[in-house]
Amino acid sequence: MSDREIIHDYLSALGRYLSRLDKETADEVIREIESHIYDRLDDQGDDSNVSEILNGFGEPRELASAYVDHVIDGTPPPKGFSAIAAVKKGASKSIYYMTGFFGYLLGIAAVVIGVLKPFNPNNIGVWSTTHGQSFVIGVFTNQPEGTTEVLGWWLVPIALLMGGGVILFTRRLTAILKRQL
Amino acid sequence: MTDQEKFETKWDVQLRKGTLELVIMAALKDRDLYGLKLLDFLHGFETIVISEGTLYPLLDRLKREGVIDADWRQEDGARPRKYYRLTDLGETVLPKLAARWRKSTADIENLLDQNEQNKKRS
Repeated sequence: MSDREIIHDYLSALGRYLSRLDKETADEVIREIESHIYDRLDDQGDDSNVSEILNGFGEPRELASAYVDHVIDGTPPPKGFSAIAAVKKGASKSIYYMTGFFGYLLGIAAVVIGVLKPFNPNNIGVWSTTHGQSFVIGVFTNQPEGTTEVLGWWLVPIALLMGGGVILFTRRLTAILKRQL
Repeated sequence: MTDQEKFETKWDVQLRKGTLELVIMAALKDRDLYGLKLLDFLHGFETIVISEGTLYPLLDRLKREGVIDADWRQEDGARPRKYYRLTDLGETVLPKLAARWRKSTADIENLLDQNEQNKKRS
C-alpha cells in the first residue's frame, strides 16, 4: 500500500468513528489531521515513515472518541456507554424540536392576543367563571357563557410581556439543547 | 516493569494530564501556532511529552471552552493550516492559572524542604 492509501484508510476509519458528530465538525477534524500528516511527511522527506506518524495519533477509534466524548457529552463518560449516548442523542433531538415548537407557539399566541386586544376588545380577553374554578383565554365571537372578563385592558401589557418572556426563554432553552445535539 | 517504575509512570501521566491545558495556553501566549508547530515547540521541553492523539482533541476542547480560537490560513503555495491563538478569555485566565500553578509548586517545595530539614535534625 502506498503512503497515500494508508493515510486515506486511516482518515476514512476516523471519519466513520466521528459519525456521531455533525458533518462539518467531523470534516474539520479530518482536514486538520490530514494537513498535519502531509506536513510531517514533507518535513521528513526521504526518511518519511507514515505508520510512525499515524502511531502518534493512535487508533482511529480512540482518537475519534477523544473528540466525541467532549463534543457530545462535555466530559468523558464512563466506557461502554456508546449505545446509551446514541439513544440520548435521538431523544435530545426530539426534545429540541418539541421545545422550540411549543415554546414559540405559546409565545407568539400570547403576543398575538396582546396585539389584537385593542382592535377587538370585546372578543379577546381572559374570562373566568363566577367562582373562579376555571378560566378561558383567547379569541371568541361571543363571550363564553356564565363568565366575567378579568384583567380587561391589563391583558395587553401582560400578554405582551408573557409572550416576549416565553419566546426569550424558548430561545435560551433551545440554544442549550442544541449544544447537546 | 517493576512496581516502582509502574508507579512512577502512572504518576507522570496523572501530573501531565492536569497540567497540559496550562502548558498549551502558555505556549500560545503571544504565539499563533498550528498543531504541528505547537507539538514541535513543546517537544523542546524535556518533561512535556504529548502525542498528536492527545494534542488535537485537547485543542478542540479548549476551543470549545473559549480560551483559544482557531482559523485556517494558507501561506503561499503551502497546505492550509489551522492556527490557534489565545482568546481574550484565555488571556484573562492564563495569569490566574499560572499564579495557582506557582503557588502549588511553592507549597510542595516547602513541604519537601521541611522533610529534608527534619531529616538533618534527627
